[in-house]
Formats: sequence, C-alpha cells, structure tokens
Amino acid sequence: MALAGVLFFRSAENIFARCNRCAHRTPAFYRSFQLFTTVRGLMVEAPQNSTHFGFESVSEEEKTEKVYKVFANIAKKYDVMNDAMSLGIHRLWKDALLHKMNPTPGTLLLDVAGGTGDISFRFLEYVRFQLKQRTKQDVRSQQTPSWNAIAESYAAGHQNSNTVSQAIVCDINKAMLRVGKQRAAEQGYITGLSWVVGNAEELPFGDNMFDVYTIAFGIRNVTRIDMVLQEAHRVLKLGGHFLCLEFSQVTNPLLARLYDAYSFQMIPVLGEVIAGDWKSYQYLVESIRRFPDQEEFKAMIEDAGFFKVQYTNLTGGVVSIHSGFKL
Amino acid sequence: MLRNVCRQFPITPLINKRIPVRTLRVSEIRFNDKSEQSSKDSFDKSLLKYLVCPLSKKSLRYEEQTNELINDELGIAYPVVDGIPNLIPQDARKIHRNEMHKNDSKLE
Repeated sequence: MALAGVLFFRSAENIFARCNRCAHRTPAFYRSFQLFTTVRGLMVEAPQNSTHFGFESVSEEEKTEKVYKVFANIAKKYDVMNDAMSLGIHRLWKDALLHKMNPTPGTLLLDVAGGTGDISFRFLEYVRFQLKQRTKQDVRSQQTPSWNAIAESYAAGHQNSNTVSQAIVCDINKAMLRVGKQRAAEQGYITGLSWVVGNAEELPFGDNMFDVYTIAFGIRNVTRIDMVLQEAHRVLKLGGHFLCLEFSQVTNPLLARLYDAYSFQMIPVLGEVIAGDWKSYQYLVESIRRFPDQEEFKAMIEDAGFFKVQYTNLTGGVVSIHSGFKL
Repeated sequence: MLRNVCRQFPITPLINKRIPVRTLRVSEIRFNDKSEQSSKDSFDKSLLKYLVCPLSKKSLRYEEQTNELINDELGIAYPVVDGIPNLIPQDARKIHRNEMHKNDSKLE
C-alpha cells in the first residue's frame, strides 16, 4: 500500500517535470493525470489546473495572459525576428505548408493564430497563380484563337463565384493582427482577406464552414490544445483539411545538440538585440521543448476526430507539418 | 515555388516595390487607395455570413451607430476596432435592459 503510494507520487512527480510529454494516450488520460497532480497539489499546495509556460508552471488563466503579453510585445519585430532566428528558412517551411495544402481556386481558408498573415498571403498567391494557369490552359486548348478571344478569356479568367478564394485570419492578439493588416495593405492583398480577433479555443465561426484550417506556429502557445483541435474539427466542412505547422522534436541526436545550443544561447540574445526582449524569446525556446513530440501530437489530432493523420518532418525534425481530414 | 522564394528574398523588408509584371495588383492598389482610408474604420459586412457569437454560436447583427456586433439573444455586443471585429467574450459589453427596450420600441 505504501509502495503503491510511493509509486503514485513518483509518477505524479514525473508529470510535474515533464508535463504533457509523458502521457501518450487520449485527452481523457491527460485529464486523469491532471486530477492526480491536483491531489498531490493539495498536499504540497501547488496551483490547480496548472499548465506550463516555458519551463515554469502556471495556472491556465495566467498562461493565456502571459502568452498574450509576449506577443503584444514582440508584434512589431515578429517578422524581422523570424528571419533572424531561422535564417530565412521559415519562409521555406511556410511554402512547404502551402504545397501540402495544395489549394484550388474557390477555397475558404481559416488561418488560426495567423497573426501577421504569412500563411494567408501565400495562400492567396497560390490560388491566384493556379487561376491564371487555368485560364492560360483554357486558352491554349482552343485551336488558333484570335487575339480578341485571348484578351476576352483573360478578362473572363477574373474570378467568378466558383473561383473566389477567401482567407480569414483569426488571432487572439490584436497587436499581431494590426501588424498583419498593415503588411497586407503594403503588399497589396486587399480582396479575399479578412481579419478577426478570436480565441482558438472558442472560435466565432459556425459549424462545417471551412475547406482548410491552418495553424502555423500557434498551437504550442494555446492553453488547451485538445479544445483547439475540437474547435478545428467543428468548423471544418466534411472533407475539410486540417494542417498544423509547428516546431517539433529533432530526430538526429547530433543535430539535436546543435539545435539546443543554438536555441538556448543564440535566440534569446537575438531577441534582446533586435526586439529588446530576452524573456519572450526565452519563453519561445522553452515552449518548443514543452510541446508534445510528433507521434504524441498525431495521437491528439486523431483523438479530436480527424482521419488519415500524417506528419512530415522538415529540416531534420526542427519543424513538422501535421495533416488530417474531417471525414 | 522558386518564384515565391525568389520574390520573398528582398534585401530590405522596408522596400516593398512590386515587380512591374504584376500590373493587375498595382491597379488594384490604386483603385483601392481612397477606400483603404475608410476601410480602416469600417467593418466588412461580407464577414457577417461567417461570424457567429463564440458563446452561443448564433449569428450576429451589425450595429452601424456603435460599430458593434450584437447578439440579441444573450444581450452582448462585440466591438469592432479598426475594422477588425473583436470576438473575445471577455471583451464584449453587456447591453443593459433599458437599451434593449428602447430598440424594441423603435422597431414598433
């Protein structure tokens, strides 16, 4: 009995140290672990409903607030920092996400935690390019068209109701959206793009609405990952595509060591020099370590009701794209 | 993809000059120059068909005067700031019963 008690405490300790990462079953299992931790918590006066903020342990409400402050502080320098930290490779990662998505003209995209709009801009570029290609092919397929006919078909190639694509960027942080809207204006993305302030855990959208749901580098910052996945499942149409681009665990041990050294030594320094904020970037690298690994996250997505869940590692596992369908 | 990559490697992010080939986009910008000023403040009504209240999941009504999205059932109003609707429940305002009665009498 005492042995069982000791084992129980040992396992609870593991949970405190490693949080989500040790559980590899259903969310119900996660919740029962949380129950165990709160029981232990009553004994050692730890906060109830505690979650992790980087390597710290905080309550759920605190986490939401703290993450909000982090992004409100770094919003203006977010894009510059992304380029500096990843040496521009983040652009390739986001391009890879779009290729995985492979949207056709007439798609409705919900870009959650879309912040500064990188994914949505790429989406609009992609579908507009596809539309142009389509009209060109239509023209070529006609035999020896006259210049008038070509001009007319180019004009007609302009979007009709079937081919109008729309991207809605949803983010909880107003500062990030403001920066995004400004960038959109500068780069000329006006039609087909909308901005909404909303919580990924409680989306302000109806059921069965969207063709594609993406969340890029956002899901590790949310307080309840399972709720976000459930909401994603709710708002997607039948046959809808769920895509998540997120930092993950590096597979190669040598690369892992280099990556750790780079993360903990270079990134906060860059954060201090460029954005003037050491702590936020310390949080960033810590939150990457706290996020479940590829297989665990895949299991969480399957639990939310998605089918054909797959993941693709990029850059040796530094980031990975998880994809699933609502069927 | 190579095109996208090439275009997105500007030397300075401040200079956002578009390559002249994309004449379509340039004309879009010019056309929308004046309306861009007003779009900063106004809310795009086409969004209404997608948006619902995050709490009750019912559709919302846009109120021009106060620039808010209103859920009559629960009596709450979500603000629209800089043309971006804010649908976080904690930021919503409760509509007092007096105002609700006033609206009813106006309709009558």
